[in-house]
Amino acid sequence: MTPMWYIVLSAILFSVGAVGVLIRRNAIVLFMCIELMLNAANLALVTFSRINGTLDGQIMAFFVMVVAAAEVVIGLAIIMLIFRTRRSASVDDANLLKY
Amino acid sequence: MDKLKLPDMDYVALLPMLALFVAACLGVIIEALVPRRFRNIIQLVLSIVALAVAMFFVVKQSGEVVASKALTAGGAIMIDHAALFLQGALIVLGFVALLLFGERSLEFGGPFVAQAAVTVGSERDREQTGRELGSTETFPLALFSLSGMLLFVSANDLLTMFVALEVFSLPLYLLCALARRKRLLSQESALKYFLLGAYASAFFLFGVAMVYGFAKAVDFKAIHAEALLGEGNSLLLIIGLALLAIGLLFKVAAAPFHVWTPDVYQGAPTPVTAFMASCTKVAAFGGLLRVLYVGFDGLGWQFTPVLGAIAALTVLVGSILAVTQTDLKRLLAYSSVANAGYILIGVIAGQQLGLTSVLFYLVAYGFTVIAAFALISLVRDADGEATHLSRWAGLGARSPLYAGIFTFILLAFAGIPLTSGFIAKLSVFGAAIDGGQTWLVIIGVITSIILAFPYLRVVVMMWLSEPGESTPSVSIPGGLTSTALGIGTLATLVFGVVPGPLLDLAEKASSFVR
Amino acid sequence: MIDVSWGEQVVFYILAPIAVIGALGMVMARNAVHSALWLVLTMLSLGVFYIVQAGPFIGMVQIIVYTGAIMMLFLFVLMLVGRDASDSVIETLRGQKVAAIALGVGLGVLLGTGLYRGTVDLTPVGLAEANKNGNVQGLASLIFTKYVWAFEVTSALLISAAVGAMILAHVERRKDERIGQAAMMKERFLPGNYPGPKPGPGVYATSNSVATPAKLPDGNPAQRSISPILPLRELEPAEKADKHTLTGGHQS
Repeated sequence: MTPMWYIVLSAILFSVGAVGVLIRRNAIVLFMCIELMLNAANLALVTFSRINGTLDGQIMAFFVMVVAAAEVVIGLAIIMLIFRTRRSASVDDANLLKY
Repeated sequence: MDKLKLPDMDYVALLPMLALFVAACLGVIIEALVPRRFRNIIQLVLSIVALAVAMFFVVKQSGEVVASKALTAGGAIMIDHAALFLQGALIVLGFVALLLFGERSLEFGGPFVAQAAVTVGSERDREQTGRELGSTETFPLALFSLSGMLLFVSANDLLTMFVALEVFSLPLYLLCALARRKRLLSQESALKYFLLGAYASAFFLFGVAMVYGFAKAVDFKAIHAEALLGEGNSLLLIIGLALLAIGLLFKVAAAPFHVWTPDVYQGAPTPVTAFMASCTKVAAFGGLLRVLYVGFDGLGWQFTPVLGAIAALTVLVGSILAVTQTDLKRLLAYSSVANAGYILIGVIAGQQLGLTSVLFYLVAYGFTVIAAFALISLVRDADGEATHLSRWAGLGARSPLYAGIFTFILLAFAGIPLTSGFIAKLSVFGAAIDGGQTWLVIIGVITSIILAFPYLRVVVMMWLSEPGESTPSVSIPGGLTSTALGIGTLATLVFGVVPGPLLDLAEKASSFVR
Repeated sequence: MIDVSWGEQVVFYILAPIAVIGALGMVMARNAVHSALWLVLTMLSLGVFYIVQAGPFIGMVQIIVYTGAIMMLFLFVLMLVGRDASDSVIETLRGQKVAAIALGVGLGVLLGTGLYRGTVDLTPVGLAEANKNGNVQGLASLIFTKYVWAFEVTSALLISAAVGAMILAHVERRKDERIGQAAMMKERFLPGNYPGPKPGPGVYATSNSVATPAKLPDGNPAQRSISPILPLRELEPAEKADKHTLTGGHQS
């Protein structure tokens, strides 16, 4: 086994997340799928950090976590805002904007 | 273990960002301390002062760029001519857009909702629509966003770029949700923008990881060196670049990553739409240029065909769908998609000519689009802005001045001579022919003709229809909107008649330091 | 080629499938709360991977911050908004699901094989050299030198997040909405209002669930004793039957 298998694993997780965004309707679950994609990227970063022998990858994973935390706060606030009016978190119900 | 040493910080170079950042923090404090009725004017003055300070330092540096000293803050920031030009453009366009943020005379309390947390449609909501002063947190948020954009166009490594991307996106998601009227629409647009934006930035991040795996570092110099060397496995680099491009093309609203544009442009408060249409476009293209021309320069032959296909698709989608629109804000959204395509053609053209044309196009389009949205915010009825196309019929008879200005702006979008739109398109197409992309120019010209149709339809409707019962009135704009409208229209005219100075400036700026 | 230790291989072969199962479970679970828990499983396995790969600090942060704070925030919001958070299965766009899955499998195969081929001939260096002063020290020296500006800029991110949450979630109370103590007490003792605390739920030998109502002296259930958001639990016949607790179990 080589560390490359971690990269393959991260590619699999990333694709699962990407598909999840497309097939799920609940805005919160959709957002969780995006979090999974960020996590997959983090795994790739940490693994490359080991392969390259520099700590930059780990630093980046660290920054991604900070960014994700801020993003989660704003995302969940927006979802809550919509839910108060609509009583639903499904993205299909958010359909006023159609051409 | 040896002591840590703070890297060399060139504070003059960082001052434009710092000024906006400090002003934004002060703005947050003002929200806490100052009574509601004074906030708008104080925030507006503070923002304008901060922008003026930022602009002063950008101009001050522009005379003294030295390639060897351009790198600062531990190699995270590159202040070269292109970065300074883009920063200057962002500050000026941001200033004009912020004037619209501060407008309070068009309707009571300004364009933003007083309390976004109040449930839509409740008793309290109906009360606050007409009676309460709008929230002014929008100013600090816009300043945060602008400072993120300044960082985005001058970032020298992919990590800084990713952080900057989020810094300028997160406040925009919030701003979209704050419209005073049609709040449900506004909140939905925020949700869509947020989810798709986060999706795109996840792709961007995975791309960063791949590039890091390839180049063992994330600063553009190292990436470039590694890419030129041709060692290592370039498969990793190509996958990385493709994923990075998805993230960036989403922000510039290129097809097929444009689906958010019409919804968000329509739902967001009009001043925010103007801000996004001008500043986000400048920032996103600035980032795209830096990634392609500084980091991945050696890979030109590999990404040009793909980008060319995307540019062709973008202009086609933008222009054809613009024809079918019945809402003015959506129409302008599709037109902005098409314009992103034209700018992409300039990006692909490459060389100095291409870069010059892109920089010119960004500034010219930014001014015109702000003027267009400023005018849209003027035409209103009892329910707020009347953006449906049919409502604009016969506006020429009601208020010839504004109908005339809007006609001029639409002609500029269509690219008629004596407007900046004409010069911008001409220089982009010229650069593309020079760069051997004649097929893109042919598609560009054809789509320009298609795109002229929806514009002319609006013009014909305004002038040749009789004003009906439902024709809304044009509000007399307050000083702020008229200033923004005046600056936008004047810039469109001036850059169309005497484009020389701006073209010279853009040409001087069209060099990246690696 | 780096020597991947025997122990690491075992960890990988156990946790990698678990991580993938967690990811698939999250996408497939009908209930949003289950999705969140599946995602927690994946994140925990990733945390272990980070620690195994010479990143103890980032691994702990993954577990404490990502799993412990961010995912719990998700659960909080889910509990607030999504009591009926199960997803609809009605397809609004025909064939979208199939197309999306096909696209995703394509993306997965492309990325997976591409990345494998892209990385297979890399020679891993390992982090022993970079970590020689300690992992945390190594990270700190990078954050405060090379990436100091990005680090400072994240403060803008956090401030906007805080301001955003305030704007979107906080409703200011107006002056006329505030009621004083006297008015509050008057309202409390208004005729028709019950001034005392509400009775607790029933506690019986058979059930002490919060969904079981307490009984009034006349034997009727006290409706006030259970929260309105809980469905009233219907007692089964066996539970309703006389348990003869008063007579000590003897049939009278």
